[in-house]
Amino acid sequence: MSHLLDRLNFLKNRSVGTFANGYGDTTSENRDWEDTYRNRWRHDKVVRSTHGVNCTGSCSWKIYVKSGIVTWETQQTDYPRTRAGMPNHEPRGCARGASYSWYLYSANRVKTPLIRARLLKSYRKLRSSNSPIEAWTKLQEDPILRADYTVLRGKGGFVRADWDEATEIIAAANAYTAKTYGPDRVFGFSPIPAMSMVSYAAGSRYLSLLGGTCMSFYDWYCDLPPASPMTWGEQTDVPESADWYNAGFLILWGSNVPQTRTPDAHFYTEARYNGTKSAVVSPDYSEAAKFGDIWLAPKQGTDSALALAMGHVILREFHLDRQVAYFENYVRRYSDMPMLVRLDEQDGKLVPGRLLRAADFDDNLGESNNPEWKTIACDRRSGNPVVPNGSVGFRWGEKGRWNLEEKSGERDTELRLSLVSEENHDEIVGVDFPYFGGEATDNFVKCEHPDVLTRNVPVKKLKLSDGETYVATVFDLFCANYGLDRGLGGDWAAKSYDEDLPFTPAWAEKITGVPRDQIITVAREFALNAEKTEGRSMIILGAGLNHWYHMDMNYRGIINMLVMCGCVGKSGGGWSHYVGQEKLRPQTGWQPLAFALDWARPPRHMNSTSAWYAHTDQWRYETLSAREIISPTAPEGDWNKASLIDYNIRAERMGWLPSAPQLKTNPLEVAKAAKKAGKDILAYVIEQLKSGVLEMSCEDPDAPENWPRNLFVWRSNLLGSSGKGHEYFLKHLLGTDHGVMGKDLGEEGRQKPIEAKWHDEAPQGKLDLLVCIDFRMSTTAVYSDIVLPTASWYEKNDLNTSDMHPFIHPLQAAVDPAYESKSDWEIFKAIARKFSEIVPGYLGKETDIVALPTLHDTPAEIAQPEVRDWKKGECELIPGKTAPNYIPVERDYPNLYKRFTSLGPLMEKVGNGGKGIAWNTGLEVQHLKDLNGVVTEEGPTKGLAKIDTDIDASEVILMLAPETNGEVAVKAWDALSKNTGIDHTHLARPKEDEKIRFRDVAAQPRKIISSPTWSGIESEHVCYNAGYTNVHELIPWRTLSGRQQLYQDHLWMRAFGEQFCTWRPPVDLKTITEAVNASARDGEPYVVLNFITPHQKWGIHSTFSDNLLMLTLNRGGPVVWLSEADAKKAGIVDNDWIELYNINGALIARAVVSQRVKEGMTLMYHAQEKIVNTPGSEQTGKRGGIHNSVTRATVKPTHMIGGYAQQSYGFNYYGTVGSNRDEFVIVRKMKKVDWLDRPAKKEV
Amino acid sequence: MNKTFKALSALLSYPSADLQEAIPEITEVLEREALLSSRARAALRPLLNELAGMDLYDLQERYVLLFDRSRTLSLNLFEHVHGESRERGPAMVDLLETYRAAGFELVSSELPDHLPILLEFAALRPVEEARALLADAGHIIAALAERLRRRESPYAAVPAALAEFAGAARSSEPVQQLLAVEDDDPENLEVLDEAWQEAEVVFGPDLNAECPVSGSLLFKMDQLPSKTCRSRHPPKD
Repeated sequence: MSHLLDRLNFLKNRSVGTFANGYGDTTSENRDWEDTYRNRWRHDKVVRSTHGVNCTGSCSWKIYVKSGIVTWETQQTDYPRTRAGMPNHEPRGCARGASYSWYLYSANRVKTPLIRARLLKSYRKLRSSNSPIEAWTKLQEDPILRADYTVLRGKGGFVRADWDEATEIIAAANAYTAKTYGPDRVFGFSPIPAMSMVSYAAGSRYLSLLGGTCMSFYDWYCDLPPASPMTWGEQTDVPESADWYNAGFLILWGSNVPQTRTPDAHFYTEARYNGTKSAVVSPDYSEAAKFGDIWLAPKQGTDSALALAMGHVILREFHLDRQVAYFENYVRRYSDMPMLVRLDEQDGKLVPGRLLRAADFDDNLGESNNPEWKTIACDRRSGNPVVPNGSVGFRWGEKGRWNLEEKSGERDTELRLSLVSEENHDEIVGVDFPYFGGEATDNFVKCEHPDVLTRNVPVKKLKLSDGETYVATVFDLFCANYGLDRGLGGDWAAKSYDEDLPFTPAWAEKITGVPRDQIITVAREFALNAEKTEGRSMIILGAGLNHWYHMDMNYRGIINMLVMCGCVGKSGGGWSHYVGQEKLRPQTGWQPLAFALDWARPPRHMNSTSAWYAHTDQWRYETLSAREIISPTAPEGDWNKASLIDYNIRAERMGWLPSAPQLKTNPLEVAKAAKKAGKDILAYVIEQLKSGVLEMSCEDPDAPENWPRNLFVWRSNLLGSSGKGHEYFLKHLLGTDHGVMGKDLGEEGRQKPIEAKWHDEAPQGKLDLLVCIDFRMSTTAVYSDIVLPTASWYEKNDLNTSDMHPFIHPLQAAVDPAYESKSDWEIFKAIARKFSEIVPGYLGKETDIVALPTLHDTPAEIAQPEVRDWKKGECELIPGKTAPNYIPVERDYPNLYKRFTSLGPLMEKVGNGGKGIAWNTGLEVQHLKDLNGVVTEEGPTKGLAKIDTDIDASEVILMLAPETNGEVAVKAWDALSKNTGIDHTHLARPKEDEKIRFRDVAAQPRKIISSPTWSGIESEHVCYNAGYTNVHELIPWRTLSGRQQLYQDHLWMRAFGEQFCTWRPPVDLKTITEAVNASARDGEPYVVLNFITPHQKWGIHSTFSDNLLMLTLNRGGPVVWLSEADAKKAGIVDNDWIELYNINGALIARAVVSQRVKEGMTLMYHAQEKIVNTPGSEQTGKRGGIHNSVTRATVKPTHMIGGYAQQSYGFNYYGTVGSNRDEFVIVRKMKKVDWLDRPAKKEV
Repeated sequence: MNKTFKALSALLSYPSADLQEAIPEITEVLEREALLSSRARAALRPLLNELAGMDLYDLQERYVLLFDRSRTLSLNLFEHVHGESRERGPAMVDLLETYRAAGFELVSSELPDHLPILLEFAALRPVEEARALLADAGHIIAALAERLRRRESPYAAVPAALAEFAGAARSSEPVQQLLAVEDDDPENLEVLDEAWQEAEVVFGPDLNAECPVSGSLLFKMDQLPSKTCRSRHPPKD
């Protein structure tokens, strides 16, 4: 309406009145036009939610709803305030999050369940005259019908289905798999539960009740830094971002805070205003580089060399030439530096061996409990070796001495750090240290130093039960390792920073390209600040360091700097690893729900890296041999003969790593067979394993009995973003078109594994069924057989926590799920219901035999003081000690749904706990019955607390977790106090009556309660910081020595030369072969570059980089960054279509040519979707791949260690990691861009 | 009730056995009501024949590929004008209010801007109101018709018929704008390159050229909207 007729053209209304001394005039004209503006921002309700899988920002948002439609969102601004003198948490939230409501109704959403038409057609045909399970059985057992749909994966062909039918097929497939092969052939992959923990728990609860395999993610993503469990016995614990503000000196090292930690970056800015000095270490000129007072640009992958040189300076200036009292006291009390190490004689030379233990002495030094797990140090008071409190031997089998008091039993002690003074040592001897810098791939600097460096160390000669032995302190060996001259004579000890000796600044300058004076300045200022502030120097480090094969070295080099300067556990100091944050704060409340511990224990957990390495057959192409990475100082052993998968198989056999599947025989049949034979189950398993009748699946991954058969992927884009070795997934696991260009070991005639059975013909298409649960058509969905539409982040109820801030807040259903979608909780409930419906008569109550590795934080973590393989006859097969434990678990398949929706009896019977402590939960279970109501239906679950809705599930988490239930927190601290002999309950007492409910967090984010699950505290005085309770409450780190473990003494660590941090150049993956290098053959310009995949700016982490706005803000499709120099060499100009390839596969992208990028490397931001603007590859003839098309996972033996204190398995805690940055690619300009826009050829 | 629109709504819905059975009835309704021109009705025949005669799975697969998986063919009309933008939600709210004002409540799980819903609504309104309603969306419908025509899909006949009925010509400016935005020939490298090219940044005063940013803006104001900003540098000879 124009309102023309409402407007007066010739007359003026007489004023109704005036105001403001006549300057204001009140009139009565029509004001309807204003309604347009009023209505524009009018809404019906505002709901609190967030964005929750991969984005770890954990920002609370206001979602505006009008007429049942989400219209926009704005940032919440009601986080509880921080204490005085600190900036507040707001604003949190970034442009990516603000665009989410627009994505909610995108045409990319999956609207209905989708099923591959050919699969559905065959199934329906068979189903017309068969039960669901019979129909699925017939379909699977007909190779033609099966191949009919599996070879078409990734090539379209979906039709819509209804929920009933989709869940029926899935349930039938799961039932068939459980009965035919074993329930552990049903795999499920979903990452980062912290961001939407109920959605994660939905799938894992279903899988756990079934006996299926929950796959890890943190290690597979290579976000897990194994150096953290090695050093602290802790997966990852870090300061909240607010604590950056408390730092006096802040190094950002391989982390791009402004780009990837957007909602937290303001604390970095505020810290700068506060006077904090900052150095940024990044090979490229990243967004973070702009924040630095100084920018160090090392060659990518050489960070450990840089850290070693900085450590060299710190040791020289703050520990040797001048001893800072604070530093010395800190390392003496909180690190293993005063502990004694045995020096082993090998070929007439001495090498650092195991840490000395009480058991090495004739009288066990008076320790009867676990003497082989108690470390030894020299006491300055008495001058004798003592057994300091706190080592892992005190953690199990006794109470009261597992603490960091300066005591040995009742006796006060003062541990001696060094034997360097004349009166404290017996001799000065030469000790061998390996040096790996002499070998490096072409792109990295080689150093002409020998591979063994002998350095002088002060030692004592001790009379032990096996004779006289030299021992040295960790500190003295540590100084020798850093190549510092201490007036002890001998070689390889530098007096000046300018000597070209490992690990001086001059040496590091050669390798890293960073000028030595910059190295010295940063190290010196870092340490000086820590001295003045007692530890307020912090290093934020990230994926840039962790995704390398030898990431441990990068991390340990940095951790060493922090420990030397007394920064860990100090407010404003320490180690801030923000990669794939995994801080599920109410973890111990969540675990029973997620892994159905209320019904059966243990669940089946698997480390994904080893599983995918085996099941996608990447091991068949392994070009890295142990020979290339073994230490020249390795103890005797067949180290060189075994290939990497062989190491993994040994680790599984000895009970170090988990297995999936576990046994070649169906585990549901094992108990039956034992019963039939009239034998005890465990005795039967031992006997059959020894005789070889029972085989572990890991020994023959390609046998059809050992394939994973069903795979659920939910909350994840496994194939589109995190699948290292993408093309191998396509080839072997899925059995569809792929771009693998290399040949396997058999075809190449290379040395084959000795433990893994080799099949000349590799299987293709191992999976019977791939189910993807997503709200958008991701790359993974495109390759799936069934796609189920899930509720998006504004359409479901869930909980969300992060380690970037200490609050818990919800996701909430602002609107009902769009189209036909359902929440993850409802989807798995529906599958469970259908499963229970169709399974009676086929599967009933069954006994499942579950294999369990020797787990960290359980008494099994001290299972193996020595490495012994039962299969080689080196020891007896003792389940849970020298092999996995085998535990019978009762399954009740017809009642799976009932179990899914109620809280089982084990919570009351067995209780709850985590990280080595346990408490009773009877009261909490009663509270849950009162809150959620009880099951009234007749049956096995009658009278139990209901878990029907996603809110019920949230309440279970909140009620059981110490972090959200003060009463439980006090119980948990009390349980820990018994172990340490120190009362810690004061940390939670003030909050004992606080119980956080779902409706509370819906009203406002709530700060969690301090709990012993974590090493920091929530308080009014300090920000959350890792290691705080270790330092301030004297709770030991969960390591061998109970202290920060800088010396790693396991046999395999010694074999691979990693007792100490050292410089290990990137490994040679040999992916640029003559055969694959078409450009070299064709005489075309090309360049070979190191391939780096950092986190992107325009996408919520790995989710929705197909959002049109995000694409518009970038270049609209896949891009790869190159330096100007490299682009010139290959004749590439900005925006050219280029191809990157090697034997793993190929990918296509546009070139971004920039001065920002370092010569010799190329950047491709991770998770750019294959489904967006990706043409065909000239090399493979298939649609150009994703960033992981040119990568392949390579496992590292030292990550497989188990049964050894901190080096023991835990889900997402320890295990092999999927590194991918040592990879090189050929880069060349494309001749022809082919969009493959032709209809698929009709096959015969 | 104008069953013609109801029939077209059914034709654009997910193919089912029911739909296959109803093809004769749909054909009959179209002929009887003759709201569409005879040419439009004739053009619909291949689609009707295919729906009646083809294998249902093939029909469904094709439908999912075209309308569930291809953004540019989305049957959610606002996808084409608002896409993933803040305007999308309010626009859908307005449409919902239109249905409600006429006394209807949306019970489908589809969003209000789903074309078959709009068509069902149109079927319930007097012909002239239906025409006005469709004319509002005419440019989107015409663009859909053109895109389907390029894919040689028989589905093109449905939006083409609607566009003709609503008087939205393919040659009209709004339709051309829509088509221009999405019209890329993947085989034509020059056009692709042009689409990806960003305006060159020139530092310092350049008397012959305006600032590239404002240059692009001015260019866009002069021209039909195009998917990228182009530099205002005069073309080189």
